[in-house]
Amino acid sequence: MGIHSSKNKLCSLFEAVSQIEDGSLIAVGGNLSAREPMAIIREMICQGKHDMHNIGGAHGIDVDLMCAGGVLKKVQNSYVGFEADFGLAPNYRRLVEQGRIESQDTDCVAILTQLRASVFGVPFMPMPLVKGTDILKLNQEFKTMMCPYTDEEISILPALKPDWAIIHAHKSDKKGNIRLFPPYFSDLLVVEASRNAIVSVEEIVSEKEMDRIGANIPYYEVTAVVEVPFGAHPTSCYPDYSYDREHISEYMKLAKQGEATFEAKYLDKYVRNLKDHQIYIDLVGGKEGLSKLTKWNEDHGTWKRLLMPSAA
Amino acid sequence: MSSNGIDYYTVDELMATCMARTIKEGNTVYNAVAVPLPFTAIMLASKTHAPNSIFWGGLLAGVNPRPPFLPQTSGDSVMLYHANPVLHAHHIYDLAMRGELDRIFFSGAQIDKYGNLNNTLIGSLDNIRIKLPGGAGASHLACLARNYTIWSIRHEATLSGKGKKIFTFVDQVDFVTTVGHKTPEGTREEWGLRGGGPDLVVTNLGTFDFEPETHLMRLKTMHPGLTREEILESTGFEPVLSDSIAETPPPTREEVEIIRETDPMETRKLGFSPETLAKRFDF
Repeated sequence: MGIHSSKNKLCSLFEAVSQIEDGSLIAVGGNLSAREPMAIIREMICQGKHDMHNIGGAHGIDVDLMCAGGVLKKVQNSYVGFEADFGLAPNYRRLVEQGRIESQDTDCVAILTQLRASVFGVPFMPMPLVKGTDILKLNQEFKTMMCPYTDEEISILPALKPDWAIIHAHKSDKKGNIRLFPPYFSDLLVVEASRNAIVSVEEIVSEKEMDRIGANIPYYEVTAVVEVPFGAHPTSCYPDYSYDREHISEYMKLAKQGEATFEAKYLDKYVRNLKDHQIYIDLVGGKEGLSKLTKWNEDHGTWKRLLMPSAA
Repeated sequence: MSSNGIDYYTVDELMATCMARTIKEGNTVYNAVAVPLPFTAIMLASKTHAPNSIFWGGLLAGVNPRPPFLPQTSGDSVMLYHANPVLHAHHIYDLAMRGELDRIFFSGAQIDKYGNLNNTLIGSLDNIRIKLPGGAGASHLACLARNYTIWSIRHEATLSGKGKKIFTFVDQVDFVTTVGHKTPEGTREEWGLRGGGPDLVVTNLGTFDFEPETHLMRLKTMHPGLTREEILESTGFEPVLSDSIAETPPPTREEVEIIRETDPMETRKLGFSPETLAKRFDF
């Protein structure tokens, strides 16, 4: 991590994202369709960020959208897809199959172990032996050694220190003390392991309020904070809102129709040429339309319908 | 619990029961990505024969969740319902590294005769024909967990455009995402891996274990109404066959009732072929 001692981290989405250099090693918070920093990702696409190398565990629309938006050169993830929900990630799949994006498939355990080497300030981490998997052919930097203490063969993985962590969280004060509510996934680790972190939050609160609720990411690990309500949309940000399955369904439909359609009907409409995040919010239903996502906890029937519109 | 009105079961329910029975009382169990059927099995075990099993509900890392229904995307907070405490993803991997994870469930776009699984790519590294999503934690956790259960809802042969048979169960996977018992490079024992590997394969047609001497998949039971020939026609290699192969033990009515209560949206049925789901087995 880097130490960011400033007591004022507040900035605009544009200012925060413009600090990310092209070609950076980036790590994205959240997981799958949950609490992805989608507003930050959309801004990266708008600013034409490119040649980024993404590392992470199991992800979905965040990585797929960065692939389509020209942000990524290399994807070093353990999983990129939409599970039983929507299946394969169309843009990621297409660009990897065309050889336009390099995929270095890895493993959830490996990535987190490598991030922890960075946290501990050591060049590599040992772990119990891993062998036999072709994932080792794609990750030739994973090696084995004889343990100098026990004389058993162990695996060693080099540290990974992302240049930028990007996460979406619930609350921050202006200093950048962050309160993240469960599920945490690996976000605390991702931030601690990275040189810099941009955090978009649902709400900026006073330092007094942050004292009351308690922070769980220290401000000095955070480079920049941006207030972006619904900043994880169309992924979820519980307890504030569930994911927007209808929107993701539209995304999937367009992405499966190929690059030209996705460019014209998704990227141009929902990502590029938008003056600010408010325009996006209005496009996807406005505060009123999105309020259905915030009512997930009214009862189990409501929650079920959000997760499977055809469910009773 | 009364099980009135439960007069039949379906293949997904039979599979969930077979998978649940691989969890023993007091086991530690994990499962994360793309897994409605294992979630069903894990919840079933914890509500029946393994009430003291310990389960971390996916990447959300909540301890012993009691979800009111099962989601299609495993990272949804429904998998945190009544979970306490909520940890961080690496806590579960640490436990696996310590050798304290008893069981996990893995599937594969391709599954070979030694139990190797492919979720990375179809084709080769030089010529990727289909990029699959990836194995998530299934590469490293398969080396660490005490055992794992393989499951597949696509034990079948389909025809390619050129009329060639395409199998999920193949002689050799295109890419070893998850190591079973043996690859061209050696065996689990030779390498000295901590985990014992797969001990049961549960499919929509039957169950398999592995012959200890050869590490080959061995047909153990057939689901009701199926013949050996039908299973072999759907399998791209010759599994070990014993003289007597039993019928898969059915679920109890109580197990079926718990499955339907646990998964009212029937996410466990996602991905099965309609013909498979249409089969009903009467009690």
